[in-house]
Amino acid sequence: MKKLFMLMVVLLFAIGSLLAQKTITGTISDQSGETLVGANVLVKGSNVGTISEIDGSFSLEVPEAFSTIIISFTGYRTQEVDISSQTHIDIVLGEGELLDEIVVTSLGIKKESKKLGYAIDQIDGEEMTKARSDNVIGALQGKVTGVNITQTSGNLGGSTKIIIRGVTSLSGNNDPLFVIDGMPMNNDQISSASRISGTRDFGNGASVINPDDIESLSVLKGAAATALYGARAAAGAIIITTKRGKSSSDGSARVSINSSYRLDDLFVIPDYQQDFAQGLLSKYDSSQIGTDWGPRNVGQTVQNVPIIGGPGALRKIEDNGVKDFFNTGFTAINNFAISDGTEKMDYRVSFGALNQTGILPGAKLSRYNVSLNAGVSHSERLQSRFGIQFIKTDSEGTGAAGANDPNIIGLSSFSSTTDPAVYDPWIDEAGNQINTSTPTSNNPLWIRHENRNERDDSRVLANMSMTYSPIDKLGITGQIGYDFDQDNRLITNRKGTAQRINGDFRVDKINNIQVNTDILAKYEIDVSQDFDVFTLVGFNYNKRKRATERLVSTSLLVPELFAPGNTEQNVPARFFQEQVLFGGYGSVDVTYKDFWTLSFTGRQDWTSTLPKENRKYFYPSVSTAFVFTDALNISNTGILDYGKFRASYAEVGNDTGPYQLDFVFNPITTATGQYGLNVNFPFNGRLAFAKGQTVPPSDLKPERQKSFEVGVDLDFLDYRLGIDMTYFHTRNVDQILALPIPETTGFSFLRTNVGQVNTTGFEISLDATPLRMKNFIWTTAINFSKADTKVVELSEGVDRVLIASGFNSVQVVAEAGKGFELFAVPFLRDTVSGRPIINPNDGTRLAGEARTFGSVLPDFTMGFINNFSIGPVDISFTVDWKSGGIMKSSTVEALQVNGLVEETLQNREGTFIDVAGVLENADGTFRDNDIPVVSSQVFWGALNNSSVAEPYIFDASFVKLREVAINYTLPKSFLSKTFFKELSIGLEARNVALLYSKVPHIDPEASLFGSGRDGFGIERQNVPSTKSIGVNLRATF
Amino acid sequence: MKNIKLYVLAIMMLTITSSCDEALDINTNPLVASSADPNVLLPYVMVQYSNRHTTELGTRTMDVSQHFSACFNSPRRGSTSIFLTGNTWGMYYTQVLGNLQLVEQDAEAAGASSNNINAIAKVFKALSYYELTSIWGKVPFTEALNGQEFSSPNFDDQQIILNGVVDILDQAITLIDAIPEAFVNVSTGDLLYGGDMALWRRFANSLKLRVLMLIRNKDTSVDSKILQTLGQPFIDDNSQATMLKYFDTPAESNSYNRLVEAFFGIGNETQGVYAPGEPLYELLFESGDPRGTVMIVDPNKDGSPGNGIFLPFGAGAGAVISNNVIRNDLPQILMLPAEISFYRAELALKGVTSEDPQAMYEQGLNQIISFWGGDIPGAQLGISSSAIDEYIGGLPSLSSLGTEGALTAVYEQLYLESFIRPILAWNTVRRTKIPVLSGPPGTTIPTILKRFNYPPDEVASNPNTPANLPTDAPMWFEN
Repeated sequence: MKKLFMLMVVLLFAIGSLLAQKTITGTISDQSGETLVGANVLVKGSNVGTISEIDGSFSLEVPEAFSTIIISFTGYRTQEVDISSQTHIDIVLGEGELLDEIVVTSLGIKKESKKLGYAIDQIDGEEMTKARSDNVIGALQGKVTGVNITQTSGNLGGSTKIIIRGVTSLSGNNDPLFVIDGMPMNNDQISSASRISGTRDFGNGASVINPDDIESLSVLKGAAATALYGARAAAGAIIITTKRGKSSSDGSARVSINSSYRLDDLFVIPDYQQDFAQGLLSKYDSSQIGTDWGPRNVGQTVQNVPIIGGPGALRKIEDNGVKDFFNTGFTAINNFAISDGTEKMDYRVSFGALNQTGILPGAKLSRYNVSLNAGVSHSERLQSRFGIQFIKTDSEGTGAAGANDPNIIGLSSFSSTTDPAVYDPWIDEAGNQINTSTPTSNNPLWIRHENRNERDDSRVLANMSMTYSPIDKLGITGQIGYDFDQDNRLITNRKGTAQRINGDFRVDKINNIQVNTDILAKYEIDVSQDFDVFTLVGFNYNKRKRATERLVSTSLLVPELFAPGNTEQNVPARFFQEQVLFGGYGSVDVTYKDFWTLSFTGRQDWTSTLPKENRKYFYPSVSTAFVFTDALNISNTGILDYGKFRASYAEVGNDTGPYQLDFVFNPITTATGQYGLNVNFPFNGRLAFAKGQTVPPSDLKPERQKSFEVGVDLDFLDYRLGIDMTYFHTRNVDQILALPIPETTGFSFLRTNVGQVNTTGFEISLDATPLRMKNFIWTTAINFSKADTKVVELSEGVDRVLIASGFNSVQVVAEAGKGFELFAVPFLRDTVSGRPIINPNDGTRLAGEARTFGSVLPDFTMGFINNFSIGPVDISFTVDWKSGGIMKSSTVEALQVNGLVEETLQNREGTFIDVAGVLENADGTFRDNDIPVVSSQVFWGALNNSSVAEPYIFDASFVKLREVAINYTLPKSFLSKTFFKELSIGLEARNVALLYSKVPHIDPEASLFGSGRDGFGIERQNVPSTKSIGVNLRATF
Repeated sequence: MKNIKLYVLAIMMLTITSSCDEALDINTNPLVASSADPNVLLPYVMVQYSNRHTTELGTRTMDVSQHFSACFNSPRRGSTSIFLTGNTWGMYYTQVLGNLQLVEQDAEAAGASSNNINAIAKVFKALSYYELTSIWGKVPFTEALNGQEFSSPNFDDQQIILNGVVDILDQAITLIDAIPEAFVNVSTGDLLYGGDMALWRRFANSLKLRVLMLIRNKDTSVDSKILQTLGQPFIDDNSQATMLKYFDTPAESNSYNRLVEAFFGIGNETQGVYAPGEPLYELLFESGDPRGTVMIVDPNKDGSPGNGIFLPFGAGAGAVISNNVIRNDLPQILMLPAEISFYRAELALKGVTSEDPQAMYEQGLNQIISFWGGDIPGAQLGISSSAIDEYIGGLPSLSSLGTEGALTAVYEQLYLESFIRPILAWNTVRRTKIPVLSGPPGTTIPTILKRFNYPPDEVASNPNTPANLPTDAPMWFEN
């Protein structure tokens, strides 16, 4: 890889350019005479350009063939200037109209924003790489309205979840469709194992996209925007267009390098207490690491110091040593791209490398992207393009989450009196685990270094298209896309690992393939001077296939030999699924006098997953855009510059997963037991089959979603203030759900069309340039999004359905009359006073009946982006605010139950009375509690008795300083003496500060569930999240 | 040239659009079956039943009857976790009964040649309902497993269920008696008896007596049925014991031990996950029962860690259940002959029969001590027959104890006999009230646990689920 890179660089320098060109110089100012810094100067018809300097001057090499330059600046009228007869020009830009904004809509069709009857957010690639997130979705945090993005943990390569306009589906169809260069790509997150037995999150499918390859990213939010994609984009779509090569003024290739180096550290450290030592019931115990109910730590001498053994003085280890145990992670993101183009062809080759080491000792990830995007204009009538991206991701030692897995290391695994340094070494020469606190516990460094968690993922995203124009204004495009993913995983527990004493391994080989073709014809008709008509018809074929081969083997004879012949037990398994969708679609856009557009779309889908009689379904949409400032000619008032009203209505149908229609008997490999204690078939030589647990549906229909959206886009004060507002309402009916039925019928679920979910929301985005002075520009943007999900009805007699299950009776449920709620066990309370009822036997609180506690989704989210341009220095920061939504934290639970954190210092010595509680009198009335709890340990330890989760449920609201980037661009005057065209250096930081949070000890954003589930609001021993800071260097030559 | 490009486009379109309908007919999973043979369904039912039974009830509720400590999340203090209740409920209704229902329906459709299969399914169904009502009291029985007609099954009284179970067992016996000469071979699928229907008949009849004894506790009108049952062959020898065998391989080992190894380390004697309760320890050691030394290891004579203390995980000095019991190849025991002998002793003492209670008592003792002393498959420790004889000979005769004392002695033996079978042990203490058990420390209920709460999934999906009774509310069969 490195060699290839070097070769490319050498080659580049060798490319000379001898083409004739001339130099144009000039200055740019506004009508008041102020010079404008950072105005764009572009040679029309090329990608040659520059920006004006601090004094408003510019200098540009223009190839002979070109004769016009375009000068543009936000908030000013764009000017074109003829340069065929001059070499120096002074330009005065008039304030006013912006260039018509062009956005990428569904099927990659570019449209003028003013003609759209629905909201679209488009982000430039530039914005995505400002403070690079290693997951492309993460880079959107705070930057667009209507999205809710959750980075679930600090696990290397872990998934990031995106939801557009709230949850609308009970059946899990809440993930947007990702489309890259016209090809839908798989964004699934496939966990290995389950949360019950320890889960591994290897990221979501779209996380492999290289942000440096992104030209633009469009977020299509409403059903009208995604109507042509059909059902698969019912939850929105993210349309990514990758960068292409362009012709340059000097005829040479354009080479760009973008490198970031970053350090990652723990984002939130719990408020560990340091006053009391590890142990139980006020007695020191060297084996109780992670349980600090020992005696007051005054540096006393103990007979058996932790791990090392032998007498010694107790120490106080700052922050329980977590800063030492967790490493400083290191991330290097390097990208090298070369691009070029002529009138006939263009190409861009890009190499990206992401190399990371995680905060978890032993965690590593590398990802290499190689992409080629090229196009040829064979003639005026025929163009072809192809793009291919090869992405290789390798990771090892990434974290486990969930339960019942010895490999989980959380923030509660450390004690105030044990220095994690004493765990080193963790293995002796004979391969035995050493330096453990007890014979039945693991040395965390053994876990990190000896138990493997490896993934090797190869992804190919390829697309090819041909466009033929038999006559003017008619274009016929055939396009084929292929998404191939081979994901190989090996998870091992070395022989000698406590809880996996005989060693085991698990191999997963997951193969995902998606083929997508579209054939579409576009035709533009100028009916008259006033009417433009744009029509489109197309046909889509989509096939998705997933095959998984799995081997779970336990009890190794020879350590570290991961072959089935070396194990006493091998359980192989295979899974396969395949589904096909055909779609025919069309749209008509009629535009009157450029200010009023009416659009109709229709799509008919044929799916393989629904019963024959119902597998064909049609859905329409209509939308309109009305630029009333143009229509009424009121744009020159100096206050309101631009105003557009938009409205749309759309219906979307949706199919279901494959193989849900038949009654089947499944071959069974395991007889399951609690705690993962499974017995395997063949058992005593016998095979086993069992019926499925779901009653198949009798007449399954497609799901239907109906949505309505209205909004306005307004620009004021010479375009210095822009406001976009959208209100939407979505109604999802006939959801295809495996509805829980009484198990006493012999089955657990009935698959059927059921229920209604309404989602209503409001989005406001505000762009402003509060200050524009010589050498100083402040731009700001505020994105506000609110989406309320209401489960209007489920099925008769069904109050709630399970969306995702956590642990210890904690669940995310959809409850009729409410939304997605956290369902958990509260304290038993006196209904009158609301105070917890105390157990008269021991003074601890009693458990009540499980109930819902509130929505796990935020009330609203808000992003606040600011950018300051001070001469060549650019400073930007993004604040991300999530308000509302609750979460249950098992980490906080463990920290408190084990006496590790400061709040457990209260009443440490002696008995005390839980004064918040009441005692029940014989007559059913209540009195203040007077029964003492014997110790603080018993009090905290009893809070979660009988699966009570209430004390660990928190308001998950937060405000985070998400990104800070400072960038310095070297002046052109300086660069002119070098071969660089552009050079900038910067400082970038992500997850800089948690400005507000009500959740103690942890990052309120953490979630047990990866992006593959609609589980929000449950945290359990995740890999702690990280903050990062780094430097960035960008060069173009 | 131009034409070639057009052809390319045209071919692309054609390949894509042709055979659209055929391409959609792919919605059949190639890795599953549309029908299944009882020889593959029964292994699933039996092993899934056994493993779930052991991991939920065995490792978590043997302390309710105070036999030995539970590992995690025991309900002994009165609170039944939703996982314990939900997993157990689901196992019985959907994994066991749901599949048995299909086996039974297929066998009925096939006619007399499948009588054996039909009977096996019915006996196992009877066992399941007996256990379900033992855990929850009222459960769906008459309306269960018929979702088309009863989408929200009603719950039946325990009396109805227990009598219904007896009827099912009668039907099974009738079917076995009517097996034609040519019948479907179920030797592969039948992991309990390898298709030996004479043994199934014995098991069915023994199970019937167990259920009738429970009913009799409340309703002595079943005495005639008991007498009828006593006239039929029982499991009357350890060689006929109903057991699911496990093996000393990780894939096929008993989960009592697998739990110890998975979470703690090798061997219960070292790890101390399961420690005997006081009643068990005292009954065995105070009388010098030779079972004590094969079931329990207590080199320092520390005794039980304490009634209901059940501090697990080798948390202190004290007796532990031996590796001779907690081992990979410990079979799941469903029925032993000693239980029948002790019932017969009890019935004789109560005057229902005229058998010799002393003979039955001694027969039962001989059977059960021989079982743990070597007849159990894979026994690592043995008890000599002379030691058994000596022990039994040294016990006071029943007649010397008076009627109450004699009954207590028999009940105590039933308690010991039910060792490592959570539901039988629980039923025994609830039925006989011997030994007298006091609530464990920290309990939230005044008695030992009497029942589970209904699982929230059933409560949520079935509006006919009755309100939960307090977990100390006695069962119908209790006095």
